[in-house]
Amino acid sequence: MRAAAAAVGLVFGFTLAWSGMSDPDVIRRGLLFEDLYLFGLFLSALVTAGAGVHLLRRAGARALVTGERIGWETLRPERRHIVGSVLFGLGWSISAACPGPIAAQLGGGLLWSVPTIAGVALGIKLYIVRGRTAARVPAELPVPVT
Amino acid sequence: MRDLLLARPPWFLAGPLLGLCVVALFATINERLGVLGGFSDVVERLSARSLRLGWKGCFLLGLVAGAAVFTVLSGGGRLGSGYGWLTREFSGGTTAALLVASGALVGYGAKTAGGCTSGNGLSGNAIGSRASFAATATFFGTAVAATFVTKLLFGAGV
Repeated sequence: MRAAAAAVGLVFGFTLAWSGMSDPDVIRRGLLFEDLYLFGLFLSALVTAGAGVHLLRRAGARALVTGERIGWETLRPERRHIVGSVLFGLGWSISAACPGPIAAQLGGGLLWSVPTIAGVALGIKLYIVRGRTAARVPAELPVPVT
Repeated sequence: MRDLLLARPPWFLAGPLLGLCVVALFATINERLGVLGGFSDVVERLSARSLRLGWKGCFLLGLVAGAAVFTVLSGGGRLGSGYGWLTREFSGGTTAALLVASGALVGYGAKTAGGCTSGNGLSGNAIGSRASFAATATFFGTAVAATFVTKLLFGAGV
């Protein structure tokens, strides 16, 4: 599983770097609609991915490494998807990079990726810690006696 | 080889290649490709004082290596030493602080939303998840609006 994931990651990272996604100017020009490359890239990736995974599922294919039947479950939109994506969109706009390109910047030797990665790690850690605190709160509340 | 790599490939070649990565991950291990999950895996393992990464962390390491391979083969890649609009508008220290803050928004926001541009934007939409449609519309809308605002505030910017 891990080798398969690493191999796919290798192709994904190579393509991100080759297509210029690790260049913050390319992303910023895309978000300002001055260069539509970002949208062409995203939409053609999405159409390819959508067609491919649906064909796999329809064919009843099994995953080559794990042998599971290929399939998935989807979620309904919840508040967290919107709130989280507003925060994510703000961070993406300022840094002109999202997680894939940030990792590709590191691979490309761009040292400015170091503070961004530190920030990403901090954000993830904060989310985990906050989740733990939220999970603990109900147990600490006194049980109401009726 | 070097010239081929230094020129940006057309979007209709690079886009489908990225899309095929999503397909390949389903075809091999029946999992959703997402880069934020890779960062999260690394943070969780390091917090647990472990270096044994799961498949998500291995995907991330592969991604970093893939970008490094591109950079070596293309003779240094196309990235300069600055950082886009940030180093043009601000000092180095301010840029670093803004990158830490925006990185934290990216990490916390994408964790909350259950995915980033790849996890929700590519994989989630590809499997027809309505949560991912909502997330993608929101982060694209927010990012476009925020970028126009910073362009207004800081002038040329780009």
